[in-house]
Amino acid sequence: MRFLYLVLTSLTAGILVGRFLSPNFGNAYEVMLYVLIFLIGMDLGLSFRKEELMKVGRKALLLPFLTLIGSILGGLMASLLLGIEPKWGLAIGAGCGWYSLTGPLIAQYSPLYGAVGFLGNLVREILTILIYPIATKRIDPKKAVAMGGATTMDTTLPIITKFGGREVALVAFVHGFVLTALIPFLLPLILTL
Amino acid sequence: MNVFIPLTLGLLLGYLLRLIGKKPSLEAPVSVALLAMIFFLGVKTGEVQVNGLWLLFASMVFAVLTIAGSLFLAEVMG
Repeated sequence: MRFLYLVLTSLTAGILVGRFLSPNFGNAYEVMLYVLIFLIGMDLGLSFRKEELMKVGRKALLLPFLTLIGSILGGLMASLLLGIEPKWGLAIGAGCGWYSLTGPLIAQYSPLYGAVGFLGNLVREILTILIYPIATKRIDPKKAVAMGGATTMDTTLPIITKFGGREVALVAFVHGFVLTALIPFLLPLILTL
Repeated sequence: MNVFIPLTLGLLLGYLLRLIGKKPSLEAPVSVALLAMIFFLGVKTGEVQVNGLWLLFASMVFAVLTIAGSLFLAEVMG
């Protein structure tokens, strides 16, 4: 939760600096993006375990794909509702809560929709933390993992484990892992549409 | 530069490090890179004249509908 405050502080400070000082940082933003993507790739390479995938069963492996398709459809609906070009809606939806990747990738094409992609996915993460404990009372805790999108392998994993139980933790981790592996490849493809 | 290049390079390096039994902690460098990048994203956003209320509303709509879409498919087909 403390890191979330740092994220919000960093974003707010950046917006204020950009709005009132308009400094020229050159391509610092792109450089940081590529450093982050490199580190994400390295983390994936370090943590991939085939055995983890085998343990959870086929049904749980289907869940991330349903999450992704549902999220993209939700993004499309939101874009139609807001009168935004569908391409941005598809891209924001495909982010599946991974705000730190979605926002910067979209911002390469449009700073405005990059900001929407960033905040929309950040709000998704916050809502998951707030709603998952309530949702599990009405929905199967394993299926409710879908709401967290890619965040279920890290930031929302503790809340899912606490309220869903230990057996849901593995499903959540694999769910987040599969999405984390898919999104960096899928999102740039959508943006080239 | 295409994002696939640093992603693939990172994957390869991570895999190689795992093969030789090294597992460096990436938590701190990722956090620093993330906060710096978010700051620069904010600067870019701040330079564009954006209606703050619209931005907040649009973000909420996207968050709620993407969650609803994912939950709906998981419930119906999962």
